[in-house]
Amino acid sequence: MNQTEQSFDELKRLLKLKQHEVPPPGYFNNFSDQVVSRIRAGEAGGKQTYVERLEVEAPWLVGFLRIFEARPGLIGGLATGLCLLLVVAVVLDERSEVASKSLLTVSQPVVAAPDNSVAALTQSTLVAAADPGSGIVAATNPVTSLQPVATLFGQPASGSLFQPVGFAPVSH
Amino acid sequence: MNMSETAATPDASTPAGMLEVDLVRQARHGDLAAYDELVKRYQERIYATIYHMTANHEDANDLAQDSFIKAFQALKSFRGGSSFYTWLYRIAVNKTINFLKQRRNKHHFSLNDLDYNTEHNPDLVALISHKTPLREAGLTELQKKLNEALMKLSEPHRMVVVLHDVQGQSHEDIAEIMDCNIGTVRSRLFYARQQLQGYLSEYAKST
Repeated sequence: MNQTEQSFDELKRLLKLKQHEVPPPGYFNNFSDQVVSRIRAGEAGGKQTYVERLEVEAPWLVGFLRIFEARPGLIGGLATGLCLLLVVAVVLDERSEVASKSLLTVSQPVVAAPDNSVAALTQSTLVAAADPGSGIVAATNPVTSLQPVATLFGQPASGSLFQPVGFAPVSH
Repeated sequence: MNMSETAATPDASTPAGMLEVDLVRQARHGDLAAYDELVKRYQERIYATIYHMTANHEDANDLAQDSFIKAFQALKSFRGGSSFYTWLYRIAVNKTINFLKQRRNKHHFSLNDLDYNTEHNPDLVALISHKTPLREAGLTELQKKLNEALMKLSEPHRMVVVLHDVQGQSHEDIAEIMDCNIGTVRSRLFYARQQLQGYLSEYAKST
């Protein structure tokens, strides 16, 4: 170690010169006064910000956040990754929804018998209920049937929306 | 900048004559006169450390003040496990390194503030008396080269060089200030010196 220490002698002498880089005389005359007055001002105004408090209480967290501050690329990459994850999650969710809907539509067209018509109509999604025997199809299409109705059986509708069921004869 | 400059006066009834431990105790209870005395004792050393890291007097002044203010606010968390001086240094070092990371691309050099003693420094006289490039290069140029070389080092390496080779701190103190072990301090110092020797090869030739 001594030999390596000696090899840096010239460098150390050069670095010692930096000790002469001092501010002009009198520079520190008011330094402590400035510090104390800033402390007083901070105490009076309660100026300590949330970040300043965090720096004292949780310096590791501030250090962690500063990694992102120092490397904007990192936070950009992280944000992009999160967005991609979100998109993938949405796509997967839609696919599973479509799959479950197709299962539901396969099992739903129920021919409503006179006895179990109520049970059939209380299915979660009433797409269409048909009674081939009576030749009438019940349509609950919200686009065509959901409209304000002025009167219902001659009574005022009081401004609410009704969803009437339209019955149309089936043409064979 | 010497330790002797901060020697206490004999009158123990005034803050200037009090021991550091008593000053810290009073400052913890909000005594700003006691804290004012602590600031006076360490302002030049803290300022110099930050200045050698930033190479800018305005930044050094702001960061030194911020460090003292933060230290006062955090005094309640000071357990006394290390000396107040080491603890204060640690705050200043962390603040400076954070500042430099945020403003990595902003370099300032103050080139007109060498004190007049520099010209009479025996080391410098010895250096320029030989036939070296220093003869041609002015002091300002030398200072600029030194600062530029230091700025090429990473913040932890620069800090170790400043604390040890410029300010004369021991390896043990540096390890405590920088919150690492002595082996790390030694290896950082060796690596930093090697780098500096490369950057300043025309001025600092190995023997």
